Amino acid sequence: MYLESLKLLNFKNYDAQALELSPKLNCFVGKNGMGKTNLLDSIHYLCMCKSGVMRSSDRILVRHGEAFFRLDGIFKREEKRENIVAKIIGGKSKIIERNKVPYKRISEHIGLLPVVIIAPNDTQLAMEGSEERRRFWDSTISQSDAKYLKNLLIYNKVLAQRNAYLKSTRYLDESLLGIYDQQLLAPAEYISMKRKAFAAIFTPIFETAYRKISNDQEKVSLVYKSKLLEHKLETLLQETREKDKILQRTTQGIHKDDWDFRINTFPVKKFASQGQLKSYVLALKLAQYDLLYQKKIVPPILLLDDIFDKLDNDRVKQLLTLLVQEDFGQVFITDTDENRIEKIIQLFDVDYKKFIVNRGQIIDNA
Amino acid sequence: MRLALHLLQQPKESVEEFTTSIGKMRQKIQFCKEGHNISDDDKCSICNNASRDKSTICIVESIRDIMAIEDTAHYRGLYHILGGVISPIEGIGPSDLNVSTLIERAGRAETKEIIMALSPTIEGDTTIFYLSKQLQAHDVKVSTIARGVSFGGELQYADEVTLGRSISARIPYGK
Repeated sequence: MYLESLKLLNFKNYDAQALELSPKLNCFVGKNGMGKTNLLDSIHYLCMCKSGVMRSSDRILVRHGEAFFRLDGIFKREEKRENIVAKIIGGKSKIIERNKVPYKRISEHIGLLPVVIIAPNDTQLAMEGSEERRRFWDSTISQSDAKYLKNLLIYNKVLAQRNAYLKSTRYLDESLLGIYDQQLLAPAEYISMKRKAFAAIFTPIFETAYRKISNDQEKVSLVYKSKLLEHKLETLLQETREKDKILQRTTQGIHKDDWDFRINTFPVKKFASQGQLKSYVLALKLAQYDLLYQKKIVPPILLLDDIFDKLDNDRVKQLLTLLVQEDFGQVFITDTDENRIEKIIQLFDVDYKKFIVNRGQIIDNA
Repeated sequence: MRLALHLLQQPKESVEEFTTSIGKMRQKIQFCKEGHNISDDDKCSICNNASRDKSTICIVESIRDIMAIEDTAHYRGLYHILGGVISPIEGIGPSDLNVSTLIERAGRAETKEIIMALSPTIEGDTTIFYLSKQLQAHDVKVSTIARGVSFGGELQYADEVTLGRSISARIPYGK
């Protein structure tokens, strides 16, 4: 699967731009702040219906001073053309169209076009709170299992209602709380089961990826942590009801799950060196790529945002040989250094296109 | 604005007539004591209608839903307007809905069945679940309207959730 052509209108710092892409390797070269990452983000948006870089609302993706943005991509997937359009007009919610037909539920689009983004801020996965890690796993599992995303949306909606109710009044109706508990059970059970099964297949892939990047230097581990592995959510919610009422939020459930990252049995967050940390999260992303590849049959699109700058030459080489060895799909690379990009292009030795990005202008320089 | 310009072009008398009828409407129309439907009396025309079946009560969210169900001409019972569904996010808790009058009606000897005709959403489900618990103490049958593939629709275009529901809640056919 690959992206054949891309049109941007009022997206981030771009006014109107159109690109024809290589099915294999695409390189964007330019100085900092010229809009290289924004290009990768527009591709991520067409695949996942959201930014892969920004956590905030879609509105700030609109070019400054404009009222809307529009992205238009033609993908080739299993010999068929898929025309995906994403647009936001005014304050309205986003519209995603597949071959001119708007999705009734945007979640139905997730998984059609698998994508993995590797970026410098990936280290947040290890350093920030558990929310980052849940986001990573939710996005990975959702891309390979549509039912997972559906259950997650239901769970989050019921959870939001339960929390709003806990905050709304001091005279709580116990029977209504009990009903919210009941409504959480089925989706929570499905999500918990999937996360557990996913951890079992993900971990060995991740360990292999890490070994390749680090040349077998350390032993890494990755453990899925959830109270639901040992207790029933129904019991947990009952036990914690009084506490929830005082804190005015739900303190038990799959929204508290986490993953434990370790190198040589020590927690990554506290003990890993900068290099180890980078390798660890890089291995996570490569494992995500491998796993989606296996599950979806079609190779996912790989977005590499400015990662060569932050890795030492050895690791860059390791990573590239890893990619070249495997039967990788379409790759997008951004870099500030044109010489380095030239070396990478030589190493890959495939059909490629190079673009020069300068202040929201993209020049085809193949 | 359009309405204002139009009214300015009309003769004074007809505008006066128009405004008095609007005033009258707001003054005279009240809500039915029983089912909270709109009415020009204590009780609405449906509750007052002797030919309607007093043993069933259909719970709906709003007056619009009554109009929709009346249009089907398939229902001869009474109604009860809830005034929404439970959604704390929008500030609607059980006490903001017409629940106590419903419980009181359910307790009457003449009431045999309560039909829940609420939206097929998570909030609708919460409300159905909640009301059925509240009604447990009374000797009434509680049912919900069927949910599934729409009439005239095609199976291949139905989404998984709907189709799955239709299959698990299938109806015996024939004998």
